[in-house]
Amino acid sequence: MSTTASTSQAPTASQLAWRRRRASAAKTWADFRAQPGGMVGLIVLIVIILIAAFAPLLAPASMLDVTHVLNQPRFAQPSFAHLLGTDAQGRELWARMVWGARSSLIVGFAATAMSMIIGTVIGMAAGHFTGFVGGLLMRIVDFFLVLPSLILAIVLSSVLSRGLLTIVIAIGVTSWAGTARVVRAQTLTIESRGYIERARALGAGHWHIIGRHIFPAVMPLVLANTTLTVGSAIISESTLAFLGLGDPSSQSWGTILKNAMDVSAATSGYWWFILAPGLAILFVVLAFTLVGRAVETITNPTLRSR
Amino acid sequence: MISPVGSVLQDEAEDFDEPGAGASWLKYAGKKAGGALISLVMVIILGFFAFKILPGDPVATMAREHQMSAAQMAQLRAQYGLDKPLIVQFWNYLVNVFTGQFGESYVYHQSVSSLIGQYFWPTILLTGTSAVIAIALGLWLGQKAAWRHGSLFDKITSGTSLVFWSVPTFWLGLLLLLIFGGTLQWFPTGGMVSPGGDSTWFGTVMDVVSHLVLPVTTMVAVVYAQYVMVMRASLLEEMNADYLTTARAKGLREDLVRRKHAVPNALLPTVTLVFMHIGGLISGAVTVETVFSWPGLGKLTYEALSGPDLPLLQGTFVVFSAIIIIMNLIADLIYRQLDPRVRRA
Amino acid sequence: MPIGTLSQSRGLRRITALALAAAVSLGLAFGSTAVPAHAASEQATDSTTLRVATSGFVDSFNPFTSIYLLPTNLIRYMYEYLVQNSQTDGSPTKGLAASWTTKESGKQWVYKLQSGLKWSDGKAITAKDVQYTYEQMMNNAQLGTANGNLVTNFASVKAPDDNTVVINLKSPQASNPGIEIPVVPEHIWSKISKPADYKNEKNVVGSGPFLLQSYKANQSIVLKSNPNFWKGEPKIKKIQYIYYTNSDAEVQALKSGDVDLVSGLTPTQYNALKGVKGVTVHSGKGRRYMSLSINPGMQTSTGKRYGTGAAALQDKQVRQAIRLGINIPSLMKHVIDNQGTLATSFIPASFPEWHLSNKSKVLVKYDPDAAKAKLDQAGWKVGSDGYRYKDGAQLKIRLFANSDDPDEQAMAEYLKPWMKAIGINLDVQSSDSDTINDKVTKGDYDTYFTGWSVNPDPSYQLGINTCASLPDSDGTGGTSQDGYCNPDFDKLYNEQLTELNNTKRKATVQKMLELNYQDAVAVDFWYANSLEAYRSDRFTGFGLQPKKDGIIANQAGYWGFLSAKPVAGSSNSSNVSTGLWIGAGVIVLIILIGGGVFFARRRKSDEIE
Repeated sequence: MSTTASTSQAPTASQLAWRRRRASAAKTWADFRAQPGGMVGLIVLIVIILIAAFAPLLAPASMLDVTHVLNQPRFAQPSFAHLLGTDAQGRELWARMVWGARSSLIVGFAATAMSMIIGTVIGMAAGHFTGFVGGLLMRIVDFFLVLPSLILAIVLSSVLSRGLLTIVIAIGVTSWAGTARVVRAQTLTIESRGYIERARALGAGHWHIIGRHIFPAVMPLVLANTTLTVGSAIISESTLAFLGLGDPSSQSWGTILKNAMDVSAATSGYWWFILAPGLAILFVVLAFTLVGRAVETITNPTLRSR
Repeated sequence: MISPVGSVLQDEAEDFDEPGAGASWLKYAGKKAGGALISLVMVIILGFFAFKILPGDPVATMAREHQMSAAQMAQLRAQYGLDKPLIVQFWNYLVNVFTGQFGESYVYHQSVSSLIGQYFWPTILLTGTSAVIAIALGLWLGQKAAWRHGSLFDKITSGTSLVFWSVPTFWLGLLLLLIFGGTLQWFPTGGMVSPGGDSTWFGTVMDVVSHLVLPVTTMVAVVYAQYVMVMRASLLEEMNADYLTTARAKGLREDLVRRKHAVPNALLPTVTLVFMHIGGLISGAVTVETVFSWPGLGKLTYEALSGPDLPLLQGTFVVFSAIIIIMNLIADLIYRQLDPRVRRA
Repeated sequence: MPIGTLSQSRGLRRITALALAAAVSLGLAFGSTAVPAHAASEQATDSTTLRVATSGFVDSFNPFTSIYLLPTNLIRYMYEYLVQNSQTDGSPTKGLAASWTTKESGKQWVYKLQSGLKWSDGKAITAKDVQYTYEQMMNNAQLGTANGNLVTNFASVKAPDDNTVVINLKSPQASNPGIEIPVVPEHIWSKISKPADYKNEKNVVGSGPFLLQSYKANQSIVLKSNPNFWKGEPKIKKIQYIYYTNSDAEVQALKSGDVDLVSGLTPTQYNALKGVKGVTVHSGKGRRYMSLSINPGMQTSTGKRYGTGAAALQDKQVRQAIRLGINIPSLMKHVIDNQGTLATSFIPASFPEWHLSNKSKVLVKYDPDAAKAKLDQAGWKVGSDGYRYKDGAQLKIRLFANSDDPDEQAMAEYLKPWMKAIGINLDVQSSDSDTINDKVTKGDYDTYFTGWSVNPDPSYQLGINTCASLPDSDGTGGTSQDGYCNPDFDKLYNEQLTELNNTKRKATVQKMLELNYQDAVAVDFWYANSLEAYRSDRFTGFGLQPKKDGIIANQAGYWGFLSAKPVAGSSNSSNVSTGLWIGAGVIVLIILIGGGVFFARRRKSDEIE
């Protein structure tokens, strides 16, 4: 039986492959459902993603225009009239939180995507190519691993103009090295397996081996990593905002927290202003972590059975 | 910035470069040290250019603090060597780095090395204490959770550590500061010593300790989770390993099996990971030191950013990176030393 | 499975115990090495020690070279000037000099020193010290780093006798040349081999009310009172500046009694401190203005345009329309909680002599309709999207807002919709202050928020609004405030520079400020109040400058702490001891637990093996 996929194009084979994939997806889902923590996390995430997606319907953008709320009370306590209280300009905090979910999630996902793409490509290349190229790539990975990432992120966000994209780049560029290292290790393991040897012997090129064999094999690992990294990226975004390097004109949870600290909300007893964004970050990161751990348990068989 | 909890671990082991058969320890150490040296050189080069491209003219920033004429500004530029071509500035920087001086800070008018010297020990005190407590707490809880896998204790331990891991460091620090520093007034609100504090040796130590409590608690809370998770996962892995079954079959007592075999083997990846993370811990000090006004390298870096105080930024960047590089090197060497598989090879 | 051995493992216990022991000893070792010098040099806090929270940078305490705000302020306390800024309104008043006269229509100034003045080390203060100080700055460019701009007009300084100083100027000057220059003791400074590099950070010999005793970078600054100060030794014997990076921590420290004075509060902090027992809040008229600077088309001194400023802003009508479209009183209410005075120009109201009068005819109010009319006149017609267009180009203006400054962020949020209402598309770009400064220097801006701390004599501030302050032909060396250049303004500037009649000089300055207002190169918003709070259960009698509604810290003078005195019977209410005891408790607990674990392990392993 040949696994050199390129030759076998019979419809039955591809149907078989589909069926197999569907079956494995169903099994993964069943495995996932068996993990209560992961399910709770997933539900929380779905709710927050829905809120973020429908932000303009839930809270019209005009609610964020400060000149429309000139007569609203500033720093109103949470009440029925003001669900989460109001901010320094008299805006409803809940409206800002709803819009903030958008920016925070966008930054989290985009930065993770960037980090994963760079990390996976370089990791696979470093594992696949031997000799000078592999060595050089590994050197680069090692170099990025030792850089103080927070300081580098600070430099990047000062050099580029302010905006969500800058934050995404700052987080993405400084967080891919860990992924690359893990992916490389996985690639090395796969490369040593028999079928790769056989594919190589049959004349398969680098692209073929990486694309058809290595990439599918490292994907589960990368996916598990992804969910965990999104949480880290959201924390990183808020940390950058705290250090004054965020994009103040965008509504993200980090920015709201920064606003709260700028007006010394904590010292002045405006506890809702500090608690709401902080707890939101905590819940979302926790949800991502729970989902990530569940996925990890499924994809890593040695962790299963526990 | 922050590494995900579990997944880093599993591949750590495979990643320590496969030692070729017969490769001597010296050769291995030499290779690793060589790699570290290359990283250090790259850091030093990057240190210059990364901060050189930072926007802003330090002299113009100063001019906003103080009424100055154009001649005074030109005078300052010449004094800092900012009027020289880039390549000359780079050469001066290299000379400064290799003489260990890092030039003179624009803001403090002191050599950067002496500034770093002053701020280095408080950072080590803070991160060292936090690291030791976090490691001890993390490993202890982690192994205990693994033994009682599935129990209520395990669930609570894993749960709390996940929650703490999901909290932004600065947010937790602020909350602690407000509750225990502001409202309850149990601990000081910032700094390392009380001004004009006790003059006795004991009083001084107590004073420093009371200042340490809140920042250390913050750091420990955010960091220890990783160690719990890693220790727990690796111990669980070890518990299922074949050799333990063999050992049990030989009639060894369960307790001895664990202490003599499982825990030492589980410690291996964990200790390695701990070393690799100490560097990250030190740069994580930036936020904690900022929140608690702790007079350490992190705070120094944070303040140097608004200037920008280029020589100081370059200095702290190189020092931070050097610490991480050295810690990673130590981790590599320890791993090689400890790993029975590698030793056997 | 025996219960007692269920949970523990030997290796881990040992590690845990060792680790805790290491933590404790690490803490002790570093704790003790890091602080002894500090602890030994100071006695415990007493009722005559004023503790001030600060976050200020210190470059050095060298009066010739220090340029940062905090050391400059402290140097005001350490060295008396020849002529001091008065407490009432900042006008020249008695310093080292008891009196002065001008000769040769302002080209020569003659000062008579007070008799019997002494340095803090007991040596007499003479005219030679003044001459030495001024000549150092004139002859050595490095020593002119801080205040060189004040002596550029000096031709020579003479000391005909111990009590007389004569300053010969290159050209006549109306403002008193004896202000703002700290006079140093010659017998100390002439012995220093490289005075420009001297840090001057301990045991300072000076002539002001307080002298620097010790300094520990980013930790503390200690000043002690000067018994030889000519107005008599202050009641406060010692001032300690304590470092905080976080302004909330400063407020907490004030609440808990760790510090006695906090300045630079936000309006919310100010309101929160209002009801606190033992704390008095103070809102004083500051000497800083806040404005929106508008790029009128940057040019070099030779008239060459540079930068990327929007062409639309070269039209005075558009700039005036921007001012008409901003509801400044509402902005002040929402951004700084009305803690300020509405501005008329860049000279703050705390200097009433020079401040542009509120009654001036040229001042305008918020009037969006008038703004629209002006834009119509200028040829900008409203398009279908509500924004204005001229020759197909949209009226789009960039606004740089400092991302580190919450006030600027808040102002930008209001300005954007207000500008939209009159048809201007305001493109708000947030950035750090360094980037903004960089772009402003290059002329790559349309509008940005700015503000300066203004000194009592307006000459410097007026001077950086003249054409002469524009950059050279190669685009460098500029110090211009807003890129303003109007020959009429320059003519009046030269007039006031030499006008010795104060009333006439005042009138000229008023005319200049009106001209500047009409040209609208900046929209001046307000002079923010300086919000401060202090432990009134420990200290009272802080001196304000200006005397009415003025400020305590960051004055242009030494009045703030000079008259302050301790409250009788007060003591240091700091919580240090609580922290100490809890710290002690924590250590004991750690040792107990560590020891317990260690011994428990010992015993258990003995049992087993």
